[in-house]
Amino acid sequence: MTTIIVVAGMALYVLLYMLYGKKLERDVVKVSDTCQTPAECMFDGVDYVSARRSVLFGHHFASIAGAAPIIGPVLAMAWGWLPALLWVWFGNIFIGAVHDYLALMASVRYDGRSIQFVASDLITKRTGQLFYYIVFFLLILVIAAFGAVLGGLFVDNPNIPSAYILKIIAALILGVLMYRMRINFLAATIAGIIMLILALWGGSLIPISLSYSSWMIIMFFYIIIASAIPVDVLLQPRDYLNSWLLYFGILIGGVAAVFSFHGFSAPAFTSFSPVISGGKATPFWPAIPLIIACGSLSGFHSLVGSGTTSKQLRTERDGLFIGYGGMLTEGFLSTLVIVAVAGFGLSLIQEAGQTISVSSWGQQYTAAMMGSYPKASMFTNSYAQMVNTTWLHFIPLGIVKVIAGLWVASFAMTTLDTSNRLARYTLGELLLPLKKSNESLFRFLTNRWVASLIPAAIGIWLAWSGNFTILWPSFGSANQLIASMALMTGATWALKRQNVKSAKILFPAYFLWVTITAAIIWFCAVILPGTIKSDPATGITVLCIELIMLGMNIVFIIDFIKYGSRMEPQPAS
Amino acid sequence: MLRELKRKLEQYIHTIERSQRETAVDLTRYELRELENIFVLLTIGSFIGLPAPPCAVSMELLPYLGHELEILNKRASESSDALAELMGSLDID
Amino acid sequence: MKSIFFTGKGGTGKSTLSASAALQISERGKKVLLVSFDPAHNLGDIFHLELGHKKYSYTSNLYLQETDLEEAAREYLHSHLALLNEAYSYMKAFNLEKYFQVFQYSPGVEEYAALICLEKILNRENAFDFIVFDTPPTGLTLRILALPAITCAWLQHLIGLRRDILKKRYTIHNITGKYDPEGVELVYREDQDRVMQKILEMQQRYERVKRWLEGGDNMIAVVLNPDFLSLRESRRLMDGLQDLALKPAAALHNKVDPANLQAADEIEQALLGPDFALKLQRVYSTDLQAGQSCLVRRDLSQIFL
Repeated sequence: MTTIIVVAGMALYVLLYMLYGKKLERDVVKVSDTCQTPAECMFDGVDYVSARRSVLFGHHFASIAGAAPIIGPVLAMAWGWLPALLWVWFGNIFIGAVHDYLALMASVRYDGRSIQFVASDLITKRTGQLFYYIVFFLLILVIAAFGAVLGGLFVDNPNIPSAYILKIIAALILGVLMYRMRINFLAATIAGIIMLILALWGGSLIPISLSYSSWMIIMFFYIIIASAIPVDVLLQPRDYLNSWLLYFGILIGGVAAVFSFHGFSAPAFTSFSPVISGGKATPFWPAIPLIIACGSLSGFHSLVGSGTTSKQLRTERDGLFIGYGGMLTEGFLSTLVIVAVAGFGLSLIQEAGQTISVSSWGQQYTAAMMGSYPKASMFTNSYAQMVNTTWLHFIPLGIVKVIAGLWVASFAMTTLDTSNRLARYTLGELLLPLKKSNESLFRFLTNRWVASLIPAAIGIWLAWSGNFTILWPSFGSANQLIASMALMTGATWALKRQNVKSAKILFPAYFLWVTITAAIIWFCAVILPGTIKSDPATGITVLCIELIMLGMNIVFIIDFIKYGSRMEPQPAS
Repeated sequence: MLRELKRKLEQYIHTIERSQRETAVDLTRYELRELENIFVLLTIGSFIGLPAPPCAVSMELLPYLGHELEILNKRASESSDALAELMGSLDID
Repeated sequence: MKSIFFTGKGGTGKSTLSASAALQISERGKKVLLVSFDPAHNLGDIFHLELGHKKYSYTSNLYLQETDLEEAAREYLHSHLALLNEAYSYMKAFNLEKYFQVFQYSPGVEEYAALICLEKILNRENAFDFIVFDTPPTGLTLRILALPAITCAWLQHLIGLRRDILKKRYTIHNITGKYDPEGVELVYREDQDRVMQKILEMQQRYERVKRWLEGGDNMIAVVLNPDFLSLRESRRLMDGLQDLALKPAAALHNKVDPANLQAADEIEQALLGPDFALKLQRVYSTDLQAGQSCLVRRDLSQIFL
């Protein structure tokens, strides 16, 4: 069954890439081979440098791949594997990858400017400003959600934090080798990979067992410190090692899934509203985008693609492969996750002594999963089991668990300190109006250390509660809100600049906006009241953030209706 | 047939190598560009109103700063649109 | 070769004293070049001559030169703007004339032009035993004397930054450069980076001037008058010089006469603090040579020889 699904998934992606993707390329984006990309006509040898298609794909994919495509599907298994899979397949093909691709191409046509800029040009300037606000909250929520994931992961499998620390040491050493001593690249890479393997092995030998709260504190300091260290000391070599980890992880996982020939023990479909968020019934629509984000649709991607990738595109025709194809590849990754958990999750949970049965899966899965192998551990253990059932079982189970765990931890930790760096910048941008009214307060809040502390503190404080089933959907809501704004911008671009009023674009865009808005309203009205009773600190904070974002969403749609959806000139601002 | 396969495999490995080489320097490129921007701002910033070095330094270096001036102009126009680029370079996801 | 700078407030008698000292030293058998940077162009008046940019041989041992700072500034700008125009010839040309006019009033240009002249003289005229400089009023003089040190400080900083840039470029080149034939080759070697070479060359030049000014072959004489305004200004001047690690070697107390003898004593007391090992020389109003001459009879050369 695992094999069938994985192969079917790949086939489906390839098929629809050819059929649907090419259609988008031809009819909506109207790709031309003669039109020069910014990388070609604004070439400057620094920023605007055209990259070969495959090279840029690798770069773009590594930028958009993270820990989220792994964690989301784990949580979504409460609906059964089929709904989750359908969203990862069709949601990706018709909404998510379209979103990525349009954002990329609109940016390319706008001389490499970001989707935020495109929005401010095609809708109103205020829309562009909204991005700062929502991104700021998104960054706090991502710290909260990923912090909680990491806390759970580190507590559940103490070998992973030690492997991570060893990996950091490996990164520091690699940094010295490659960027200070400048030894041969190939030699440094091999040294790095060897050190990585040693870190994996060493980690599996030396567990570091600390409490969840201790990890929260450690992560808080890590965020502050790591976001202040010079780039080539830690960040650059660490990112490089992570990319190798990613490829090996996917490779091993893909091979294992194809060769495992294992049946699914999880049910295909449990109910429309099983228990997921906050211990309450969570309807598939509209909540699914909040649960499965990056594997299927993610607002981050529009910003990443329109931020760096668009400036390096060699020819317009590469865009489909990189933007659309890249997202599909991430969908493949999520497919692997679903397959692993579907195949091996049930037995794992039962082994851990939690009560669960196929018939009551919908009711019990979330609680049982959180109880036995909270959050990411569900993935790491299922992954390890899956690998173990194939010819790859020569790799010891403990080490495979650490590989998977280190993979998730590495990307999650990177996201944490990057979020902090970005939050500093974003805070500065959105507080600008304050500069005129209260300059000293402005200076205080945007001071390098204060601006670093605020998001880290709020994020970690939220993560402290461990209330993952609330934190994850709230992160999802912010992320998908950006996605919906970006897709609407893409639709506006298609309308105003391409003169295309295609259902292929408009329907996903409107559908997505309605879905996300409904999801946030549902979240605030149905779930959060319960949270406020049981965990008021988290509940109220999250509710405030959600309501602010909802307000901004309404501002957005008003602006969109007035200026975005019609061929009218926007007001001079 | 086998030669064709070998060639394809070589090409494949070559691509991965180039891709990884780029990954290994992407943040460094970003940092380099910012340093070059700072350098040119320090050197000829007086032309855009910044406190400047002694005018001899600005004047005598100006003819050699063509590349840096390009960066200055680009960064100046891009600085208001930095969010997405930062997210991409710093690898948010 | 040695150099002497006569500094002081305007009207204290710098031109007179520097001319007198120069003449006296030359009469002792030394070859002397007397250069005036004073915009007031008093030198020609003192010797009853029309002096210009080229040195004029007054006697076989004494040469005179008047530097026109405005002319020097214009020339300095012109040569650099020509270079600029050449480098950016592909761009729409500056309207050179208009830009030119604005720039010559820009702060710092006059000082630089003076410094360039100074540098040229110090480099070229080593056939002379002594070069005596009559300087412009205090403010401008201090700025000119400060320039080498300030410039060196800036250049040091820029060198550090440029080195960082080149190192990063090298790192990138090392990892990706050879594999990207279409990529732009950014220079990463110091000896190939024209910007770095230019900065290093500038640093060398200004370091030389700075070292000369601070060195033992350079002497600075402060000219003052017996009034308290002059004392204040001289104090400021000496403090300013000290900040630049330039120690005044001598103080010439000019225009002392019986009327202000007491004031003169007090001023000398105030001036000669414990820190300064200053050679003090009084010049009386009566020391002025008879007739239309502006020169003094009192022997000033002893202080400097």
